[in-house]
Amino acid sequence: MSEFRRQHWAAAVDRLFTAVRQNFVTFLILIFVGTRQAGGDYFVYVLMGTMALTFFSGIAGWYRFQYRISEGELQIKKGIFVRKKVYMAKERIQVIDVTEGLVQRVFGLVKVEVKTAGGGTESATINAMTFEEAEELKRELRNNDRVKIEGDELLEDEGVNTEEEFLDEWKISSKELVMAAFTSGNFGLIASILGALSGQLDAVITDETIEYIQGLLPGLNNFTLVATIVIVILLVSWTFSFLGVIFNYSDFSVKKTEKELLIRSGLIERKHITIPFDRIQAIRFVEGVLRQPLGCGMLYVESAGFEQNVKERSIVLVPFISHSMMHEFFDRFLSDFHIPELDVKPPSRSFLRYLRRPNYLLLAAIPIAWYFWDFGWLLTLLIIPATILGWLRYKDAGLYFDSKMITMQFRNFNRKTAFIRRKRVQVIEETINPFQERKNISSLSVTAASGAKGIAFSIDDLESTDVNRIRKWLLNGEMDYASTD
Amino acid sequence: MINHIPESRIDKKAIKAWRFSALIFGLLWFAPAIAYISISIGINKFDLILSILSVIPSLVLYLFIGLLVPNLRWQRWRYEVNDEAIDLLRGFVFKKRTVVPINRVQHVDTNQGPIYRKYGLSSVKISTAATTHEIPALDDETATEVRNKISQLVRQVKEDV
Repeated sequence: MSEFRRQHWAAAVDRLFTAVRQNFVTFLILIFVGTRQAGGDYFVYVLMGTMALTFFSGIAGWYRFQYRISEGELQIKKGIFVRKKVYMAKERIQVIDVTEGLVQRVFGLVKVEVKTAGGGTESATINAMTFEEAEELKRELRNNDRVKIEGDELLEDEGVNTEEEFLDEWKISSKELVMAAFTSGNFGLIASILGALSGQLDAVITDETIEYIQGLLPGLNNFTLVATIVIVILLVSWTFSFLGVIFNYSDFSVKKTEKELLIRSGLIERKHITIPFDRIQAIRFVEGVLRQPLGCGMLYVESAGFEQNVKERSIVLVPFISHSMMHEFFDRFLSDFHIPELDVKPPSRSFLRYLRRPNYLLLAAIPIAWYFWDFGWLLTLLIIPATILGWLRYKDAGLYFDSKMITMQFRNFNRKTAFIRRKRVQVIEETINPFQERKNISSLSVTAASGAKGIAFSIDDLESTDVNRIRKWLLNGEMDYASTD
Repeated sequence: MINHIPESRIDKKAIKAWRFSALIFGLLWFAPAIAYISISIGINKFDLILSILSVIPSLVLYLFIGLLVPNLRWQRWRYEVNDEAIDLLRGFVFKKRTVVPINRVQHVDTNQGPIYRKYGLSSVKISTAATTHEIPALDDETATEVRNKISQLVRQVKEDV
């Protein structure tokens, strides 16, 4: 691969396809608006012109895009008017993603994304290459004599012997997939849709529409009408997330080699993600509100890369796994980590603070709502669930640390558990407000690298001496139980 | 040794520099009041008492942030750089203590905006793979010293492993 080469011409098709897909809604609106007005003919010409331009720029872009591997670097030349050269040294490469998108699958090709850590560089994407080429590329980029790890030590590798051999494989059954899909309801999303709609409800629910709907469906009163709308929204959004999970995680598997984890998933767009063990920054277990009663959740892995977007930053390691299976999974695939008992908990004098905390926002909202809306006082009823949430947060908060790693468990709505190796902890931050200071408690936040930014895990109202111990532990790995201050 | 509070303070000129910038940018606090007054004049309903009332909150905020806050901020700001970590303590209501182990530092640089330049101050910016942290308002020499010290320590630690 030492000579510059072009991608398969399907890359141009993919570009066009992506451009159309991204602007699909805009196209529809433009066509709808444009053809309705007088002089719609011109509009059609403009539209066709734009399409042609997109088409030719797709081809030109494909023609100009060349790549090769040389001197331990992935080198890319691209750009139609502004020529751009991207060089990525292989020891800086964090993750290589291989995706079979719709267009790629038609041609039997794959898309390869090479990601380095932060620092404002972009990820390099090669849109169309054969699977064999992709494998060769991966092999060459992985084939290091010496791997330098971000921020810490040097590792000796066994030279050229990188012939990959799968040591172990983990799959999820169709039953688990369906369970994952069933429990995927995203409450945050639903709440925001409801919130956005409730602002519009006054405009939609007028006397006329109510009469009209009541004419259609006798027996509906205002309350059942609103309830029906809410249920319909819930059903629709739930169906979307159900299908989303099925499409994204069908045919899921995690494979393990000497040095890497390989994740494959997807029904229509199939993704292959390769994560070297030494690039794992943190492991995260999220138990959704619907999943926790089943004792199940989703396992994520954090790695450094250029993604800004939170959703794309974390890689799903296992979409659905039960608590009891976790131990087995960690033993087989993540031998650097283990699942401990959480022994550092917030002290009992933090209990009331935990109960109060979710209520502060309500305290501000209630008087306003009471003043402006007829039934604003109903908001006071929310104090009960908010307090229960506070109680759950208190119950779930806790951490564990030993010479190698730290485990933190906490809850916002979903219960989350983070596992971070000590060497991967970037920063520890302790916050104390005046009320906490009086009680000798403080909030702890531990940051690991993830994407271009970090991901912070925090637990409120811990014993200040515990936080001090963790600060010491970060620097020397010792767990000093006798506090020396 | 670690439970102690970081010992270095930032430069005292910081108060002046912060005050200066707060008094300039703080003028924005008056925007709502000015908008209100100019509109009320525009529609011929100017009311002296209401206008004065509308200025008062902005004025209080302006003076508080401009005159008092820089002092409080400076009082609390402490930092320390040793061979293990960079230790930052700050915040006059919410006390914040940040510890960055030396070997997580990816790069350090010094910055100087126009206001800092006027007072001969620089800030030191420390980046890790995840976050960036700033020690504000050191005098130019100290800032360079701190920067060099950190980068030297980082090199040392990385060689040691």
